[in-house]
Amino acid sequence: MDQEDISFTDFIASSIHDMKNSLNMQINSLEKIAIQCQQSGDTPTFEKLGLIIYESNRMNVNLIQLLSLYKLGKSIYPMDIAEQSVCDVIGEAILQDKTIMDFKGISVTVECEENCYWYFDRDLVTGILINALNNAYKYTSDKIRVAAWVNEGFLEIRIEDNGRGYPPGMLQEGSVGANKGINFSSGSTGLGFYFSSRVAGMHKNGIKQGSLTIENGGAYGGGCFVVKLP
Amino acid sequence: MAASLKQSSVLVVDDFQGMRTLLRDFVKAMGVTKVEVATNGKDAIEKLSANKYDIVICDYNLGAGPNGQNILEEAKLRKFIGYSTIWVMVTAEKTMDMVMGAAETKPDDYLLKPINEALLEGRLQKLIAKKQSLDGIENAVTAENYPAAIKLCDQQIAANPANSQALLRIKTDLLLATGNYEAAKEEFEKILGARSVPWARTGLGKVCFLTKEYLHAKEILQEVLEENSMYLEASDWLAKTLEALGDREMVQQVLHQSMKLSPNSPVRQKNFADAAYKNGDLDVAQTAYEKTIKLSEHSINKNPTVYAGLAKVLTDKGEPSEALKVLSVGKNIFKNNPEASVQAAVVESMAYQKLGEPEKAMAALQEADGLLESMGGKVSSDVTMDMAKSLFALGEQEKASSLLQSIVKNNHENTELISQVEALFETEQLGEEGRDLINESKKEVVDINNQGVMLGREGKFAEGVDLLRKAVHNLPNNEVIIMNLCGMMIGLMKKEGKDDGMLYEARSLLDRIVELNPTNKKYHEYSNRLNQIKGMK
Repeated sequence: MDQEDISFTDFIASSIHDMKNSLNMQINSLEKIAIQCQQSGDTPTFEKLGLIIYESNRMNVNLIQLLSLYKLGKSIYPMDIAEQSVCDVIGEAILQDKTIMDFKGISVTVECEENCYWYFDRDLVTGILINALNNAYKYTSDKIRVAAWVNEGFLEIRIEDNGRGYPPGMLQEGSVGANKGINFSSGSTGLGFYFSSRVAGMHKNGIKQGSLTIENGGAYGGGCFVVKLP
Repeated sequence: MAASLKQSSVLVVDDFQGMRTLLRDFVKAMGVTKVEVATNGKDAIEKLSANKYDIVICDYNLGAGPNGQNILEEAKLRKFIGYSTIWVMVTAEKTMDMVMGAAETKPDDYLLKPINEALLEGRLQKLIAKKQSLDGIENAVTAENYPAAIKLCDQQIAANPANSQALLRIKTDLLLATGNYEAAKEEFEKILGARSVPWARTGLGKVCFLTKEYLHAKEILQEVLEENSMYLEASDWLAKTLEALGDREMVQQVLHQSMKLSPNSPVRQKNFADAAYKNGDLDVAQTAYEKTIKLSEHSINKNPTVYAGLAKVLTDKGEPSEALKVLSVGKNIFKNNPEASVQAAVVESMAYQKLGEPEKAMAALQEADGLLESMGGKVSSDVTMDMAKSLFALGEQEKASSLLQSIVKNNHENTELISQVEALFETEQLGEEGRDLINESKKEVVDINNQGVMLGREGKFAEGVDLLRKAVHNLPNNEVIIMNLCGMMIGLMKKEGKDDGMLYEARSLLDRIVELNPTNKKYHEYSNRLNQIKGMK
């Protein structure tokens, strides 16, 4: 293949493909070892493995977000707004994080009617959900609730936890802006928030536009991550 | 199709040993006993040709050689897999092909890595349930019983209105295929009343295109792209619309945009190359044709016109020896394709002319002429047009004119094509004479057709069949005359009873129509009527 035939996009995409293969293998092997530890009663190793798997998941989420943002920025992301079963999409996102939730003994409940269908890009919204779940995982005590319903022409998805909630500084503005949450000392780059609010905003219906807000309260009085899609 | 996941036979395709084993273990853990693996495209095609699988789990990126999409297309085209086969693409990122490719070559679903067993199992279960629920509709479609298929869609939509998009899409596709444009338009407008959905708005654009309201189609399709610049189906139809409007520069622009989004689709790349060539953008055309050839390397859908196109570009650029090399490569690949051979011979003669070897040019044209004869003139108008150009260049004015007349006669209602013929006469300084010939040719066909219609009205079907049969013999590519002959035969058999020979003849006419124009409005109606006659005692 000629040098100029390799576009930068292809290059990133194939590298990410490769990295995701490795991550997929790594996560699955770790999960197997963890289960063995659990069965043999090696609780300390079991818990350490939980942490490692969580970090691997985070890496994967970052990879997806970076690639998606790169493609959205160049207007080459195959955006596919189609009718989706909201329950299915939430269910799958939770499934991807199930192992880590089990490690930490976090219970995740879903409130969504079986017959709830809405229009959005499945993969992008799954990305938002996994990011929100990973966040909630970090800050919750032991409970996470995902609730979704349609209200006044918007699908509202709420991810709530029973942790201490967002610090006041982060709540000052209603909507989450681009650089919110960048804090190099805590390792938070704000990528997740930026990705989520960008993706929510790309969902439009007529004059209505999607949005992302964070607040404290909800069913458990902790942090709430709220996505609205028209 | 297997009734359940556990009874299914599964093929896992992945080049990466670790992932292959992982996927196989997942499937085994679900209780599936019949699991096989393939390590690359070649291996996969061999297994697919030899065995029947209910489910194929295929990695998209398979290293060197064909990718998952190439394999899917080949397996579909060669009928190794049918509608009931579930094809799941496993990938690190979704591609345009997966979400916006043609329905016939789209995987049933795709899964983004990393995947785990529960996720895969959940998806497979849902896909099995979905296939089962669409089984009845698919059977009706396969049996070409479209009214029944549409009725089944309606029933299922009524049963579960909250989740009806997929069914509405199938239903509107069926309405378009059967020429029910008004009903399709109504459905699209109903959907758009609630939400601006790109596929439905594009559907509206298709209706306008198919009813020849090109300006309206252009407006609608541009709207879709303003809202969602990535909706490639809309830009494909917009390009077609602009082509019909004769706005070639815009065609190239639109295709250039979609090339950026879908750089790996050989079909789009080729259309772009064609558009650039027509606009005289030779360097762009050359690059695009070369890329098309490269992209099709592992594809079963290789297209001979790509090689002819590239050779034409090279000839025009003053590199006829290179053109001849390309043609000889193409000839080798498509040696069993008569139309491709005619085309290659015609372009060869152009290249020899450029080389200053008129004898060889003439010999090539004679070869083309002989092939054309043996095919009963069933060659596309593009090839015929090139042949006429070549004949003009060799001073064979009479032969060239007669070919152009045959184009007009075979396409007497195609204004865009006829204006191209007129332009060619003009270039050869034969404007006036050409216009006379065109009008004469048009009139000749219109007269025959009117005569036929009259005979049909008077119930003189047998005479009508005789008349139009002779006409079709001379005009093997004329849609209007072919369809009217078919209609006449239907009329005759309804009156006088079934005739197996005529049934066969009428069916061949319809087969020819599909080759000429897959979206012919009357095709399904006539096909149904022939089936009714077939069932008569």
